[in-house]
Order: sequence, then C-alpha cells, then structure tokens
Amino acid sequence: MDTNTNTQTGRTVLCIEDEHFISELYTRALTKEGYKVTNVADGIKGLAEAETNQYDIILLDLMLPNLTGVEILRKLRDPARQPAIRSKIVITTNLEQRDDVRADIEKQADGYLVKAELTPHELVEFLNKVK
Amino acid sequence: MDYLEILRRHLRLYLVVIIILNNIVLVGLWAAGLELAHLSPIGLVSCSLIISAIGALAIVYIGSNLILKPIQALRQAILSLSPDGQRTPPPDIQNLKVGRELVASMVGQINQLSSVARQTSAVNETQNHELGRNFIAQNIPLPLLILDPTETIIFANSAAAQYIGIAADQLLGKNVYMVLDMAFPDQNTFDRWLKQAKTANATATASWERVRLGVRDTHPARLFDLAAYYNRDNPDKIETMLVLFDHTKQYSQDEQAISFIALTVHELRTPLTLLRGYIEVFEEELGNSPNVDPDLKSFMQKMRAQAEQLTSFVNNILNVARVDDNQLELHLEKESWPNILKSAVNALSLQAKVRGITIHCRIDTSVPEVGVDRLSVQEVINNLIDNAIKYSGTSKVINIDSHLTKEGLIETTVQDFGVGIPSNVMQNLFTKFYRDHRNRAQIGGTGLGLYLSKAIIDAHGGTLWVRSRPGQGSTFGFTLVPYAKLAEEQKQNGDTDLTRSAHGWIKNHSLYRR
Repeated sequence: MDTNTNTQTGRTVLCIEDEHFISELYTRALTKEGYKVTNVADGIKGLAEAETNQYDIILLDLMLPNLTGVEILRKLRDPARQPAIRSKIVITTNLEQRDDVRADIEKQADGYLVKAELTPHELVEFLNKVK
Repeated sequence: MDYLEILRRHLRLYLVVIIILNNIVLVGLWAAGLELAHLSPIGLVSCSLIISAIGALAIVYIGSNLILKPIQALRQAILSLSPDGQRTPPPDIQNLKVGRELVASMVGQINQLSSVARQTSAVNETQNHELGRNFIAQNIPLPLLILDPTETIIFANSAAAQYIGIAADQLLGKNVYMVLDMAFPDQNTFDRWLKQAKTANATATASWERVRLGVRDTHPARLFDLAAYYNRDNPDKIETMLVLFDHTKQYSQDEQAISFIALTVHELRTPLTLLRGYIEVFEEELGNSPNVDPDLKSFMQKMRAQAEQLTSFVNNILNVARVDDNQLELHLEKESWPNILKSAVNALSLQAKVRGITIHCRIDTSVPEVGVDRLSVQEVINNLIDNAIKYSGTSKVINIDSHLTKEGLIETTVQDFGVGIPSNVMQNLFTKFYRDHRNRAQIGGTGLGLYLSKAIIDAHGGTLWVRSRPGQGSTFGFTLVPYAKLAEEQKQNGDTDLTRSAHGWIKNHSLYRR
C-alpha cells in the first residue's frame, strides 16, 4: 500500500477525535502517506485549533466532549466568518443520523464518512481525493 | 303637503301659464292680422297655424325640461356617490325651479343610504384586518395559519408562532414553505394536495398524521397532525387554513426507540472501527513479512471477513429499525447496475473465499441503467449473498445472474446449491426475526436480512422472490426498474426529486426547489 508514500508530503490534517485508539490508527496511516497530523480530543480545543492554524483537512468527529462536531462545523462554516476557513472538513462519525439531519451536515462538509465502514487505509484513499 | 304634490302643482301651474300665454299670443296675432295687416282669411289661417305649431313645440320643450330637471338632479346625486364616479359633482339643488323640495329630500335619503353602506363595508374590512386581534383566532391553543392564494402567510396566531419558534410578525408575509419545513410520512404531501385542490376544487379539506416539522438548528423536531381547509373563492383571500395538532410526545416515543438503537449502533461501531483498523495493520505487516506461518495470514483474513460481516449486520439492525419507523428514506439515482453488482460481490468475496466458496457473476450486456439508492441495494445484494454463503452447506458455488426481463425490468438472481428451504417455511421467509428452526442451531443470523431486503426492493418498485427445493438449494431474485422509466414517472408526477415512499419520510417536495 505504500507505493504512494509521500505523495501527500506537507498536507496538514487536524484530527478532532476523542477516541484515542481511532486517532492513533488514523495518524499512523496518514503519516505513512506523508500527511502531517495534529490530534485534538476535545470539542472546544478542536475549534480553537482549527481557528488558529490553517489545516488542509480537518477530520471531525460528531460526538465530542464540550462541543459537538455539528456545532464546530457550523462555526467553521459560518458565512459571516472573516477570513473564511479554507480547510476541507471531512466528518468521521459512527453516529447514525436521520437522513435529513445528515443531509444538512453533508451540505456544509466536504465529506461524510462512517468510521466503521472503512479501514484507515480507505480513509487515506478518500482524503487523497479531497482537494 | 308632501313634496310630490308640490312638484305636481308647480308643474300644473307652469304648464297652464305657458298654454295661456300661447293662447294670448295666438289671439293677439289673430286680432293684429285682421285689424292692422288686413290679411286674407287664408293668410290668417296659415299664420295662426305656424304660431300654434311654434307654441306646441315650446310647450313640449319647456314641459319636458321641467319634468327632467329633478330626475337629472337625482341621477347626478347617485352618480356622485358611486365609487367609480368620483368625477361627477353633486347636483346644484338650489338652482332647481321645480321639485326642489322633493329632490332635496331624496338626495338626503340617498346620502344617508350610501353612508350606511359605507359604514357596513368599513366594519367588515376592519373585522378582516382585525383578525389578528380576533380573540378566538388568537387565543385558540392550536397553532393556526392562514395563507393567501400565493401561499403567503397572512395570519398566524400566537400558538403557531410559539410552535414554529418564529415570532408571529416574522411569519407574516413569508411563503409557508419557507417557514414550515414539513416532512410527510408518504407522498400525499400538503403541497401536492394544495396544488391539486387549486386546479380541481372550489373548496377542499384534508388531514395528515405524523407530520414532522423540520429540525432547525436550535429547535427540537416537532411531530403533529395537520388539518387544512381550502376555499378558492374567499373574497378576503383567506384561501387556505392550516391547523396543527401537536403529538410530539406521543410520536417521538418511536423516535426515542430509534435513538436508542442509534446509540447502540454507535457503541458497536466504535470497537468495530478499531478491530478493522488493527486487522488492516496486521494484514499489512504479515503481508510484508516473508517467514510467516500461512495459517496466520488465513486467520487474519477470516477475522477481517467476520468484522466485515458484523459491520453489515450492524447496518441491518439500523435499517430494520428505520423501516419499522418509516424513516428509511431512499434517494433513487441513475446508476450503472453492473458497477453496483460487481462492487457488492467483491465486498462479499472474502467471506465466500474463507469458506472455500466461489461466486460466479454473469451480467447481461443489455442491462440498462437503473434508478436505485446505491447503499440500500448494495445491502440487498449483500444480504442475499450472505444467506447463500450461510446456507450453501457442502456446496462450493454461488451463481449470480443479471438480465433484462420481457417486461423491461432488471432481474438479478442469487442461486446456491445448499440446504434449500422447506415449503412450510417459505411463506414466513420475509417476516422479521423469522428463521427456519431446523437451521437455527447450526447457522447464525438474525432473520432481519430478508425482511429488510424485501422492504428495500418494494420501495424501489421491484419485487423480491424465492424458489427453493430442500436439499437442492435456493434461488433468490429481485427486479429493479430502469432509470429511464422512473424518470418518466417523475416527469408525469411533476416531482423534483426521486424520493421513494413506503418506507421513508418524504420531504415536502416544494422544499427541494432551489
């Protein structure tokens, strides 16, 4: 799987995920591919990090302590925000939503993934296509 | 003495005076002609004939004028009051020589009548405008909305404002579909009814159960019954009335059941994510290591197959709950059937491989594009192949075939050569939690797969069928509708989105218009 190693050199990823084992697996797979990964396990800290440093991609869990992923998404995608956050936001969750709620979230995000449905490698393949 | 009598006397007097004057002139002329001009008798006769003719004309002219003047004044009085006759001035009664009193009194009457009429219409108008302040409409504890012919909200009582979560004055003047994000349990949506009522009926009533008010960011979802009344000819443009009956508490019990399941699923998925992640790491490492016991590789492969199976089972639980609660919403899209079928077969190939089973897949080239909800039909294929693997027994082959039927539908069959299904079991096969008791001890499963598959295929407008012989195996088949045919249906219904009912919350289609 490492034939593409380092093709993504320098692309930065902020992983807002409170399940440590999951972020560990994702970090491993992403780092192998050349991504630079920063991990945050808390909603408020995650939002602050996303606002302070510009990341290429933000992996956003929905069930998070202190501030939910939906709220973070809304704040980051607020049209009134100056300057706008340019990061691509990919939702990674295992929470099942009603279709209309999910559609609402999908509209604001650049991807919506159910973590149980894909392996870390498949996540990396997905992110490689997020431009 | 009444005014009519005065008019009559005046008229008589004037006419008598005119006739007398006429006669005096005639006699005077006669005398003058005889004495002074010495006219011949023929000259006298013709002269007096001319004079009397002039006199008669004068009498007719003056008389008719006398009679017409009061009538004219009345006409002018009426015209000056009519709403579109603003330019007609009121009559000048003082200059009337005849019937002044009668005309003055009648004009007075007319004015009085008109002011009464004006007052009545003013009262009516205020009543309409005061609907907002109307005690009953305002204080009825049911949310009430009134729409004009353009579906704009022209009245919303305080209960409605509170229920929708938007201030009443903010609701006024807004299009109802912009404010009320309603989702209906089936295709009989409010906007469809209203559209139909507008083209067909002068009045119509309808009611709906289990309508969902869309989730706004800060507002919890509401569930209610809706009653609507339509009246095309209402002069005050009160065309459509909506009354909402809240049942959030009652209906949301099912929702809570769903959220319990959603939570359970979430808790199952987290360890599954990790298992699949770690298995991938191990398979990677084992693949890179030259001197590994081949058994380890195959064990790891089996672990992956099991984890994948568990993932799809978790999805089954979720979707069965959705089917039961009418929440499985399908979005039918144009898809290449060979692509979907092949990728679904690939996903299952590992599970087949670890059991030594080979899947043969044959897809006819004539198969057109289908209108399906990709994830849902993948689950159907997944379930059917999963069953075929489970019930294959000692048989090692599964055949999948896809072709176009004579009826123009896409039929896909999954055939195994395993244990088969006893005839007494067949009728219950698609029932939830039903499993053949003889197999229960030997083969794991929940009896959810076929129930769910049937629901999904039904919702696609297809059919799921089975043919089986105990000991010889089973064939499950299902049909799907070509996309072109669905698109044609969609066009005829005027829908903007291919959202299928039977199992889903159907959004009020107006909301999809952008």
